[in-house]
Amino acid sequence: MSDISQTDDRLFELLAQQPDEAEGDRAPSRLKARLYSALVRRQQASGSLRSLGETRTRGYGLCVFEDLWQRATSGEGAQCFNCCSLCHARVLAEHLERAPIGWAYCPYVAFGKK
Amino acid sequence: MAGPRELSDVALVAEVLRKDRKATAEFVARYADHVYGYVRRRLIPRADLVEDLVQEIFLAAWGSLDRFRGDSSLRNWLLGIARHKVEDHYRQRLREIQFLEDEERPSEPMALRDIENVLVERQAGRRAREILASLPEVYGVILLWKYWEKRSLREIAQQTGRTEKAIERLLARARHHFKKKWNERHFSDRR
Repeated sequence: MSDISQTDDRLFELLAQQPDEAEGDRAPSRLKARLYSALVRRQQASGSLRSLGETRTRGYGLCVFEDLWQRATSGEGAQCFNCCSLCHARVLAEHLERAPIGWAYCPYVAFGKK
Repeated sequence: MAGPRELSDVALVAEVLRKDRKATAEFVARYADHVYGYVRRRLIPRADLVEDLVQEIFLAAWGSLDRFRGDSSLRNWLLGIARHKVEDHYRQRLREIQFLEDEERPSEPMALRDIENVLVERQAGRRAREILASLPEVYGVILLWKYWEKRSLREIAQQTGRTEKAIERLLARARHHFKKKWNERHFSDRR
């Protein structure tokens, strides 16, 4: 390798080490929503999700829809069902940046928070 | 995400593996920004591919999460997966994009104008990113792979099925174009 290349190598190595706090490095909320939905779908495809009751017992809050779902349904199938797949909040969050939804404990709301 | 407490990486992974939806949301909320930021900086100028690749990384992470032992932080473990995916992308692009292997390397040496001041003002990282984004994709890929991902010419040549000499020539042309853009930018800033 020539001297020029070696000098260039050092220069570019130096450039690559420079910090670059690029604007917009925060993931868009609709991407986080899509990631979450995709992961839960993938989890469900390989068996039941943890039941809503057990999730609550572990100390997590349930959103109003999950709470209603938990109270209104019975049986393991329903309790472990991904009820977010039926929820309008998911649809809004996957398509709109900081979607106008405001239910407490809804994961899609949390993704939109700064 | 209103969890029971601030879970450690290992505890969070255990909850995700139990398919707890709230822990899964916490996993995304904690780490999506880190992965996204890394991929975004490494996929210049293909911003259109960033979100799909981030999703691919998270799904791959779910597929191998049971192998996470906590030897490194969960963030670094995820970034390791991200790095593999980014290099897969580089490999694929350098195989797909046509470039002339026989073209001579630029013989004319060229310095980067005002590099000292730009480094002192801590703007070199941003300026480098902007210039990488303005280069033809093949030049951006080879520069990022060699210098930002710190891969040797031999490794890149092996992974792309090109000769080491061809990669070296491509890299020389990429550096030449980068420096030319840098210097044009220097003169336009001074006007």
